[in-house]
Amino acid sequence: MNIIPKKAFAIGLAFALSATVASAEDYNITVWAGGTGPNDTYRIDAIKMAADILERQAAIRGENIHINVEGKAYDGWEEFKQGVTLSAESGNAPNIVVTGHEDIAAWAQSGLIVPIEDYVDLGAWPINDIYPNLLKIASFNGAVYGLPQDAESRPMFFWRDHMKGIGYSDADIDALPAKIASGEYTLQNVIEDAKKMQDAGLVEPGYGFYPRVSNGPDYWQFYQSFGGEIENQDGKLVFDKSAMQKFYQFFADAVEAGVTRKNHIGTPWDQWYNEVANGKAGIWHGGTWHYARYTSKEGLDDFFGKIQFSLIPAGDASGNANTITHPLVYLLTQQNDENVESIAAELVTIASEPRINALHAIKSAHLAISRSESGVDLYANDRWASEATERLLPDATAIPNNVNFGQYWEIMWGGLEAVWTGQKTAEQAIKDVETELTATMGDAIVIR
Amino acid sequence: MNGSKSLGLMLLTPAIVFVLLFFVAPVILTAVFALTNMSTATGITGGAYQVTQSSLRKLAESYGQAELANTLAETRYTVNEEGLEAIAADGADARLVAEMRAKLGGRSFEKRRDLESAIKTLNSRPRNTRALKALSDTFHRSIVNERFESADAMLRATTNLGVALSADQKSALADATYTGWVWTTQNFTRMIALPDTQRTLINTFIYVFATLAIFNTGFALVLSIATHYMPARPAGIFRAIWLLPRISPPVLYVLLWKWLAWDTGFLSNFLANFGVAPRNWLLDNPTNAWIFIVLINGFVGASMGMLIFSSAIKAIPGSLFHASEVDGASRWQQIRYIILPQLRWPILFITCYQSLSLLTSFEYILLATEGGPGGATEVWALKTYLTALNNYAGNLEYGYGAALALVLVVVGVVLSLAYLKVFDFKTMVRPPRIEQ
Repeated sequence: MNIIPKKAFAIGLAFALSATVASAEDYNITVWAGGTGPNDTYRIDAIKMAADILERQAAIRGENIHINVEGKAYDGWEEFKQGVTLSAESGNAPNIVVTGHEDIAAWAQSGLIVPIEDYVDLGAWPINDIYPNLLKIASFNGAVYGLPQDAESRPMFFWRDHMKGIGYSDADIDALPAKIASGEYTLQNVIEDAKKMQDAGLVEPGYGFYPRVSNGPDYWQFYQSFGGEIENQDGKLVFDKSAMQKFYQFFADAVEAGVTRKNHIGTPWDQWYNEVANGKAGIWHGGTWHYARYTSKEGLDDFFGKIQFSLIPAGDASGNANTITHPLVYLLTQQNDENVESIAAELVTIASEPRINALHAIKSAHLAISRSESGVDLYANDRWASEATERLLPDATAIPNNVNFGQYWEIMWGGLEAVWTGQKTAEQAIKDVETELTATMGDAIVIR
Repeated sequence: MNGSKSLGLMLLTPAIVFVLLFFVAPVILTAVFALTNMSTATGITGGAYQVTQSSLRKLAESYGQAELANTLAETRYTVNEEGLEAIAADGADARLVAEMRAKLGGRSFEKRRDLESAIKTLNSRPRNTRALKALSDTFHRSIVNERFESADAMLRATTNLGVALSADQKSALADATYTGWVWTTQNFTRMIALPDTQRTLINTFIYVFATLAIFNTGFALVLSIATHYMPARPAGIFRAIWLLPRISPPVLYVLLWKWLAWDTGFLSNFLANFGVAPRNWLLDNPTNAWIFIVLINGFVGASMGMLIFSSAIKAIPGSLFHASEVDGASRWQQIRYIILPQLRWPILFITCYQSLSLLTSFEYILLATEGGPGGATEVWALKTYLTALNNYAGNLEYGYGAALALVLVVVGVVLSLAYLKVFDFKTMVRPPRIEQ
C-alpha cells in the first residue's frame, strides 16, 4: 500500500465534498451491540436518533442524505464476539460495534477496527467533554480507537436488615463505605459477617456471601484487593503469584466457612438476581447497572432503604479497596468505503452527546461519560446515578487493552474455578496457572 | 464394460466432491491452522505491518534496536513546504495554504489533535471534520499506527521519513511490526506442557467409554432385546418413548434436566421432605456432574442403537427361534447363541459410529455443566470449542484450537482402523461363497 496516493485521493475528495452539494445519498449502517438486554436499547436507538439529526443537518446544508440504521442486539457476549470476529473475517463486519473495551487490542492488531481518532475531531464537542480517563480506556497503542458508550462500576452490596440483624446500627451501616474505602473493613470481615448472618439464621447456608455466578471482569477486583497488578506501566501483563494465591484462597475460605456454596458458579442468573434483590443473600457483589434490574424486574421498591453499597474491600494491607469500570465502547470496523466510515463516525459522535447518552445512562443504570452529561436534568435528578458516581468512580480502575489479556483471563478463571470447586488447593492452582502462563505467553507476561 | 465404469464414476462424482469439500478440505485446513499461532488478533487471511508502541517495545527488547525504536516512536505532525505544496496541488483554497504557511509553517506537533486545534484557529480553516482530518493527515511525518500491506511498503515509508536502515534493521523491523500469524509448532509443545491436558484426556476417555458402554450399546441392547420379547404394540410405544430425548431440541432437553437438578429444582424440593438440604445436584461435585453427563448423553444416544439392534433382531429368521424353542432353549440361551452372534455387525457399527460421534460431541456438556465444576467435565471437544471460539476479551485462538481439533482427527482415524481390525472387517465383507 502506498500511502501517498491514498492521502491525495482522500484530501481531494474531502475538498470536493466541502465545496459542492452532493446529490441524494443512501447509507446503510449496521450496528451490533453485545451484552444488550431490554434496559440497554439506547445503545442502538442512540445511533438511530443520531441518524435523524445528521439527515436534518445535511438537509439544512442543502444535502440530501438518507441513513438506514440496522441494529442487532445480542443478549450475551459469546455469540456476539463470535459473530463479529467471524463476520469480519468473511468481509461482512457491521459498521459499528458496541462492545467491551478489552476487545480493542486484538481487534486493532488484526485490522478489524480502525482508530476512531482518524475520523472524529477529538478537540471538538462533545468528544472534548468526555472524561479523559474513559477515552484512555478506549485507546490502544497511543491511538483512540473507540468512544465510550457508557461507564459503570462494580460494587459490593450489603442487605441492610441482615447487617442490623448481626448488630450493626443504621449509623454503622451508613459509615461502612468509608470504612471500606480506608481499608479498615476487609474481605476477611466480609466472611465473618456472612458467617454471623448464617449463624443467626438470617440467610440460608451458602447465602452469606453470594458472588457473581459466572466469569467477568469483577473477579480481577479481588486480585487487586490483595495488591495484584494486572498490567505494569510498560504495558506488560503481570502475574503476581502471591496476590493471586491470596485471592484464590479468599474464595476457598468462603467455601470452607460455608458462606459461599462450593457449586455456586453456574447458578442461573435469573435465580441469582431474584434472590439478591429479595434479601435472600447477605453480602454480594455486582454492577451499578444491577440497580435497574433490582428495581424494575425484581420489584425492589426501596433500594436505598434495603441495600448499602461500597467499593470492593481490600483483602489485606497489601491491597486497596477498589472497583473496576468496564465501559462499553463504540468501535468502527474497517470498511472499504471511506464515506461510509465517516458517516458512521459522525453518528457515533452525535450519539455521544450528553442528552442522548443520558437516556441510556438512566434507563440502564449506567454512569455518565462526560462532565456535562451529569448536568442533564434526567441524570442530575437520579439519586442512584449521582451517588454511585461520587462513591465509586474516583477509585475505579479498568482492565487493560492488551492482546494477550484474553488468554491470561481465561487461565486466571480456570484456576479460580478449580480452587472454588475444591478440585485444587490455591497453592496447586497457582503452580498450574504459572505453568500454563509460561507455556502460553512466554515473555509476554511478567511473573513475580 | 467401459460405459458402465464411466457411468459409475459419474454417479460417484457428487459424493467425491462432497467428501473433498466437507471432509478432506477441513482436515487439511485444521492441520494447516494447527501449525500457526493464528488468532483473532493475527487474523486468518494474513497480516499487515504496523509500527505501534508494542511493536517498538518488541523491537527494542527482543531485537536490541532501542535506538531505532526511539527514532521511529516520534510521532510528529510537521507543517512543511512539502505538505503545503501537496494540499495546494490537491485543490485546497489558496488562502488556507497561505495562512497555514504564514502562521503554522515550520511548526511541529506531537499529537494530531494539537495540529487540528491550531488549524481551527485559522480564518480560512476547513468547515467540516472530514476536510480537517484529510488536511491534518497530509502533514503526518511518522509511520506510527499506519498499516502497510507489505514489508517493502513500510520500509519504503520509513526511508522516506529520512531514517536510513541497515539490512539487519530492516529484517528486525519487518519481524517486529508484522501483525499476522507465523508458522510454529508451539501449539503442540504447549499442549504437552499444560497440566490440564492430561486431565482433559482422561475426562474424554471417561465420557466416551461410560456413555458408550452403559447406554449407547449396553442399554440399547437391553432395550432392543426387551422389546423383541414384548407384544408388538407395547414394544412400539416403548421404543417411541425412548426416542423422545433424541427428537427434543437439546436446549429444552437439558433445561429439563436442570430443572430436575438445580437447588430450586424437583430433586431438591422432593428430598427436602426427608430433611436433605437443597443443593445443586448437577454441579455439586465431579461425580454427580459425571453421572448427569452420562445420563443426559446416554438417554439421547441409546435410541439409535435400540433402533438398529431391533431391526437387526427382526431380520433374524423366525425359524431359528422356533427351532431353538423346540430344542428347549431358554431365553438367555436364545440371546447368547442366536441374537448376539447375529448382532455382531450392528454392534460394530454402533460402537464405531457412536464412539467417534461421542468423541467430537460436546453440546450437551456445554449446555449442562460448561465443563464444570472446575473443569471436571471438560472433554477434548469442549476444550477445543472454548479455545477456538470463546474468549472473554475477543481474542479467539484459532491456531491452538485447530491443534486440539487435529488430535481428535488423529484419534478418530486410529480408532476407526483399530475397530476394523478388531471386528475383522475383511471377513465380514467377503463376497458370499456362492459368488466365488
